[in-house]
Amino acid sequence: MISTPRVDDVCILIEGTYPYVSGGVSSWLHDIIRGHPELSFSILNIGSHVGVYGKPRYVLPDNVAALHHIYCHEAIPGVLTNARRDALNDEIRVLRNQRDTRVGPSRVLSALKRLHLGDAVDAGLLADLVSDDLSVGAFLHGRESFQFMSEMAEQLAPETPFLEFFWHCRSIHVPILRLLSAPIVPARSYHALSTGYAGLVGAAFSVRSGRPLVVTEHGIYTRERDIDLANAVWIKDQSDGLEEEMGFAPTPSPLRRVWSRSFAALAKVAYHQAARLVTLSDANRAREIADGAAASKITIVPNGVDVDMTDLPTDVVPPPKLQVVRDAGTQDVVPCHRPRLRVGFVGRVVPIKDVITFIKACNLAMATVDLDVRIIGPAEEDPPYAQRCRNLVETLGRVDTIKFVGPMPSHLIYRDLDVVVLTSFSEGQPLVMLEAYAAGLPAIATDVGACREMIEGVNPADHELGPSGFVTRVATPIETARAMITLAQDPALRRRFGAAGRHRVVGFYQRRDMIQSYRAIYQDMVSS
Amino acid sequence: MVVTSAPWLLTSAVLIGLRLTAHTHGQGNFGVVEQIITIAYAVTVVLSAPVQVVVSRYAADRLYEHRLDAIASPLRRVLALTLFGFCALGAGVMVLLRVPLGIAIAGTMLTTVVGAQWLLLSVGSGLSSPGVVLRSFGYGAPVSVVAALVLERGMELGPIGYLCGFALGQLVTLVLLLLGITRAIPDSADEDARIWPACVEYRLLALSSFAYHLSIWADKAIVWLVLGRDVAALYTASAAFAWFSVIPAFAWIFVQIETVFYQRFRAFYGALEGGGTLAGLRQGALLLQREAKRIVRGASLVQAGVTGVAFMAAPRIMRMAGLPPEAVPLFRIFLLGAALQVITMLAVVLLYYFDRRRDALAVSLVLLIGNAALTLFCWSVGLPPSLGYVLACLVTCLLGLVLVRRRMDALIIDTFQSQAFGAS
Repeated sequence: MISTPRVDDVCILIEGTYPYVSGGVSSWLHDIIRGHPELSFSILNIGSHVGVYGKPRYVLPDNVAALHHIYCHEAIPGVLTNARRDALNDEIRVLRNQRDTRVGPSRVLSALKRLHLGDAVDAGLLADLVSDDLSVGAFLHGRESFQFMSEMAEQLAPETPFLEFFWHCRSIHVPILRLLSAPIVPARSYHALSTGYAGLVGAAFSVRSGRPLVVTEHGIYTRERDIDLANAVWIKDQSDGLEEEMGFAPTPSPLRRVWSRSFAALAKVAYHQAARLVTLSDANRAREIADGAAASKITIVPNGVDVDMTDLPTDVVPPPKLQVVRDAGTQDVVPCHRPRLRVGFVGRVVPIKDVITFIKACNLAMATVDLDVRIIGPAEEDPPYAQRCRNLVETLGRVDTIKFVGPMPSHLIYRDLDVVVLTSFSEGQPLVMLEAYAAGLPAIATDVGACREMIEGVNPADHELGPSGFVTRVATPIETARAMITLAQDPALRRRFGAAGRHRVVGFYQRRDMIQSYRAIYQDMVSS
Repeated sequence: MVVTSAPWLLTSAVLIGLRLTAHTHGQGNFGVVEQIITIAYAVTVVLSAPVQVVVSRYAADRLYEHRLDAIASPLRRVLALTLFGFCALGAGVMVLLRVPLGIAIAGTMLTTVVGAQWLLLSVGSGLSSPGVVLRSFGYGAPVSVVAALVLERGMELGPIGYLCGFALGQLVTLVLLLLGITRAIPDSADEDARIWPACVEYRLLALSSFAYHLSIWADKAIVWLVLGRDVAALYTASAAFAWFSVIPAFAWIFVQIETVFYQRFRAFYGALEGGGTLAGLRQGALLLQREAKRIVRGASLVQAGVTGVAFMAAPRIMRMAGLPPEAVPLFRIFLLGAALQVITMLAVVLLYYFDRRRDALAVSLVLLIGNAALTLFCWSVGLPPSLGYVLACLVTCLLGLVLVRRRMDALIIDTFQSQAFGAS
């Protein structure tokens, strides 16, 4: 008897988060899966290399039939022994000597070339891309792929040191080729939770199986990668020494652009193949259209929270406390009333959240008002960055007032806060803001993703509720500090903002609405 | 360049002088002395070739890593082994040759000294110490000639004096090399340093070098086996004189390789590591390719000129060398073989330069096997065995040039696409 592979209703394609990282997209996905008990899910987690994840942070719901993993790179090799090096050289020699058995040039290479150097993605390009006629080994050591890389270098970065370009080009394409040749996970529909690698695999599976693909973008993947790339120290910028002497920044390496283009190209592949594109806000929708997505495919489904999940006191603002302030100059002890604001940063301690700006803002605000600051969220994703943040707090002498408290259950986070602050470089539609609103707290957030519309309202009815916090510019601690000072000094304003937020989340960001929207999308996809 | 070629040229010059002097003096035991010197060099060159390659690379690697303290300890061990091994080998050869005791002792000493000398030469070469090497050979070579003449003629010690004098000069070279290298490496030594990993890493190069040097003697050994000692003596003497015809081309090759070609080579890899653009690298590869072609063409022209002159003057050369008239056609055939072999050697050197170990090994093995097989084949079908040697050189020369050309054509792509990526 031949067993047929199990075909689940929805195969979720996700890059490295669920179920291993808590919060953000992971908690959103957990909600989505639990909200659709009638559907069976499989999850394909795309990681960088074997061993990159620790223990799962979520217990998979019963309707998740399987959790698969694929990796962009092989396991990181240890120190090469002589024997291993010889074996490796032998492998390479064999690959180098292998005669090309193809009749014509590689379709995959041809598609990659069009993808990088052209603008349009069409069905022919996608068919070529998934033709699987180019192994990773043939790419790394073959003649045709070197010609491809040479052409790329000539057109995209002719003045860049070729050695650097070569290694970056390999680093860009090896994950793509590995993922393109990944064995298909049978499903009735595919749901990629981003463009990038997840979107690429989703598109490949969709083309190969003929089943529909839906892509949900919370943050705009290409924008987030651009932010990462702008700060990436593993790309060397070009400096002639004079620039350094004069104190100017070195000329940005064209390799940043090459990487950026490659992620934009992957986004185009996903946008083209997707039957539906789901995003969170008008701002994201506009960005997707600018990046090549068809407007007709895009549906906006805002995030949602369960408004009953939190114990919501409407009068959450505590009265000002009597404090003792020591005047350093006179050593006199004088009693005074200084407003004390309990500020929470809720999120992962990672560069994209710009925790450094948050800490600086708190420090500035503390010159005027008293703050009790908590940074709530996991810090293990980027330990060097987390350490940088801790060091900054220490340097500023704020260890007693700015505390890293680690992750906490949602229902315990907001009861001890007065305001939630986000200083991210990029966001989709932050769940923490919705949770804060549900708890009646105001928010201060940077003008990224859907934050502005979440604070000021997205439509006339929403506008009528009034603002529920302050919008600040990215990487501007002074603005965030000013907003904190204002809220600290004006409890009435805090209450007004908190109430508006609460009404906003009740009116427009309910979890049940979000689940309902996805139910319709899934039904449409599964039955198509 | 001078590090490797000058000692070879000096030694060749001394050997030619010795051979001519030995003959013109006309004493019977000079034939034995000549045989001992030939065997001493043949045995040491062939057996020390792989060791030289490994030691030279080991020293160069440590120099690159700024770990000169890791040289002394392995060098002491290898030197002790070399001295002991070649002493035993030399004594064994002397017993087989059944020479008088005095000559046997001098012959054993010469074999031991020359074996150790080659080893230290490779270290000097690896350390890029031309001063040490040149000084050592520059003083040792004239001492060899002068001491040989003084002992043989001035003190009337005859052939044994000649051999001892020659060996004394080589001993001077060895001592000077040893002193120079000792000064070049630090006093503190890493006693845990081992050379074995380098033996493993460079085994293909070592094997290639061994095969190449062995191939030089393969046809001679076969002729000795199938045609006997007398024929082999004439065969070997004719071949040796023909081989001297490569000296100008050899010198020209090494000068060119280690000056202009080396500069181009460094420029290409310097640009590669120093941020060269693709266009720049292509230009560098093109210049390197042109330079390789120019050297092959130039070497061919120089060699053709010398071969032509020697071909015409063959009867006179053989007469001067004291060889019989029947050696003339043999000498002319060997001239062709030597001309082809020097181009083959150029190809092997170029392949070494680009670290094409397998290709270099293939060329060396083809030369070794081809020389043995074709010599045997020619003898078996009634053709002169020397023709087999020439055919083997022709085939190997063509193979070497094809491999070099292929390498040069694919220089950039091979350089990049042979790199491992992660654990691929």
